[in-house]
Amino acid sequence: MLLHKRPLMASAIGALMVPLLAMPVKADHLDVDISVIFDAVYFNELSHGNDAPAGFSGGHDHGHSHDHGHGHGHDHGFDDGFNLGHSELAVEATLGSALVGSLMLGITEDEIEVEELYVQTLSLPSGLQLKAGKFLSDVGYINSQHSHDWDFVERPLVNEFLFGDHGIQETGVQATWLAPSETYTLFGVELLQGKTSGIANHIGAQSPEHGQARILEDVSGPRLITGFVKFAPDLGADNAAQIGASVGYSRSYQVTDGHSTRNEDWNGTATFAGLDGVFKHDAGGSYGHGDWRLQAEYFYRVQDVDRRDVNFAEDSRGPVGHVRNVQSFKNEQDGLYVQGVYGIAPRWEAGLRGEALGLTNDLGRGDGASEDTSYRYSAQLTFRPIEPVFIRAQLSQEDFASDHGREKGVNFMLQLNVALGAHGAHRF
Amino acid sequence: MRIVSKNAQQPGFLPGAALIVAFALILCQPLKVSGAEPPLRVVTTTATLGVFAASVGGDQVDVRVLAPPDRDPHYLEARPSFMAALRRADLLIEMGADLEEGWLPVVQRGAGNPKILTGNSGHLRAADPLHLRPSITMEGPNLGHVHAEGNPHFHIHPGLMRRVLFDVAQRLSELRPTHEQQFRHQARTLARDLDTHVEALITQVTPGTLMLTYHEDLDYLAEWLPVKDVGHLEPLPGIPPTARHLQRLVAELSDQPSGVVLHAIYQPGQGAEFIKERLGWRTASVRMEPPVDGDFDDYLELLSELASAVSH
Repeated sequence: MLLHKRPLMASAIGALMVPLLAMPVKADHLDVDISVIFDAVYFNELSHGNDAPAGFSGGHDHGHSHDHGHGHGHDHGFDDGFNLGHSELAVEATLGSALVGSLMLGITEDEIEVEELYVQTLSLPSGLQLKAGKFLSDVGYINSQHSHDWDFVERPLVNEFLFGDHGIQETGVQATWLAPSETYTLFGVELLQGKTSGIANHIGAQSPEHGQARILEDVSGPRLITGFVKFAPDLGADNAAQIGASVGYSRSYQVTDGHSTRNEDWNGTATFAGLDGVFKHDAGGSYGHGDWRLQAEYFYRVQDVDRRDVNFAEDSRGPVGHVRNVQSFKNEQDGLYVQGVYGIAPRWEAGLRGEALGLTNDLGRGDGASEDTSYRYSAQLTFRPIEPVFIRAQLSQEDFASDHGREKGVNFMLQLNVALGAHGAHRF
Repeated sequence: MRIVSKNAQQPGFLPGAALIVAFALILCQPLKVSGAEPPLRVVTTTATLGVFAASVGGDQVDVRVLAPPDRDPHYLEARPSFMAALRRADLLIEMGADLEEGWLPVVQRGAGNPKILTGNSGHLRAADPLHLRPSITMEGPNLGHVHAEGNPHFHIHPGLMRRVLFDVAQRLSELRPTHEQQFRHQARTLARDLDTHVEALITQVTPGTLMLTYHEDLDYLAEWLPVKDVGHLEPLPGIPPTARHLQRLVAELSDQPSGVVLHAIYQPGQGAEFIKERLGWRTASVRMEPPVDGDFDDYLELLSELASAVSH
């Protein structure tokens, strides 16, 4: 459901919310938790850099530049000045001890989107759990987190550009099994519809161009399968850690792009694999003083496609329906980030993050090209005056490669985030 | 062990797969102690509940405590290692009344063990049958914690914890009926020890002693010791002390006899020092829980420490 600029629907949801919020949020007979996450960001571009990292502007690189806030390019979605960030309405309810249901609406200035809507079993034996609906995939570490749980304002580049603007957020089913071992060991498999732009972009069959068939075809869902394992040793009272490995395969990855006289079509598959780790130290100080945590993720993605272009207008190469650029190729790309956050004083945190995108950046289109690596460095300072509120200042330097050379852009962000109502406990 | 040695004698038949199966079986079915039933796996959120479960259950329980005793049980994280502990647990005992609300529900859901889910036979919330002291979060504006069921820090109130001994015995009896007599006998003995100990402690405290506490986590002392609870350093539960609030406390208490300011070891001491400087009150930083794997005497010792903190 995407309510794009539909004030009627939005106000209808608003009217529904008001009586719900007016009720005591945790009535015993209901067992429903409702919360609103308010998020606002003041954004200031101090210097303008390249808009998109080389090799990642959309499904493939044409050397076009994309403006901020448009297209598939780098879209942090912020205008210079005040922005309503990514606010959320979350409703969670249990059906006895059998099921838990969760609805999470993402609210931006002009749309309300269902980010998650799922039910999950609680009562299956032997460590098995099933989840069905729309949810954030549990691959990697940050992919399943909502933005108010992040330590930095922006989604990591590797998650945004290898997967999509919302990471892997798909409709499907998930099965997990927690091994009955001393050490936490979780295995999971997900069967997903397959719409995520970076690994499972699906367009479907196209009408022929003047009798000339184009190569894209319908591939029925589920098209994307993922698997993951998470391992978390018990490190005692002061420390905790989790490491994970994830893989995924999409049996359909499709791209189409219109040029001046021809449509360029890619039809193929995509595969990814990655590692993630987090280490948290609890110093036992008051309000997080002395606590620190380190978090890192690496993902590698291969798009394996057949390409075939068809003229929709006559040009020097041929008439309408002329076929050219028939080739098969692979794009192999990766990215990583490492971040650390330290509780510098009670209720104050400071953090640093370094990101690299395209350490491997081999594009097979045409004669093939190896693009340079893009980087981003961020520093943040966060203050939590009371538990449900944080104010974060962040400075990010984007050092993006592009066809016309490297350019550095610097952005300043000031974020205000408030959790209202009965917000569920945070995951590790 | 039998399975492994059997495979070792037939190395030719898919040894890799056989080894994996053997490991899986070892993982899934920990070797049973021959003869006696294996101990019930009990997981408790706090060290006090761990002491209670171990003291009542004796050799019939194997207890794991989740919250380190020197940490604020409000602010733990839902660690995966907690889920692993609950995955194989027969019984989860929590204080309840939302003390563990910030992390335990996520751990319960992530454990993949229906037995220990809220409402099921392997889950015990100590607060449920108790009449709790009202939490001050129930009155004013809700900025920090909200404890709609009452003040959840009752583990230092022997009158309520006495009841918990019998509730633990009752639940263990349901899970292991063959040892019902043993559990009930233990609960009665421990309750008697507790009564005797508490009677002695009450006489140590000068009646009418004034007590300021950092959070509402020591309020229950006023329920059984002859002390008067006159306020908190936090302006609201969960909100750190502010200069304005501390100055107001000083103004309010300036014509009162001198008392004591208590705070938990994991709470900052500056607010208490401020009161000490202005009013000349005594301050004390106190442990809130017995050690993990402690015995019932360690719990009694904790009560003694709290009583002497207000009496000297």
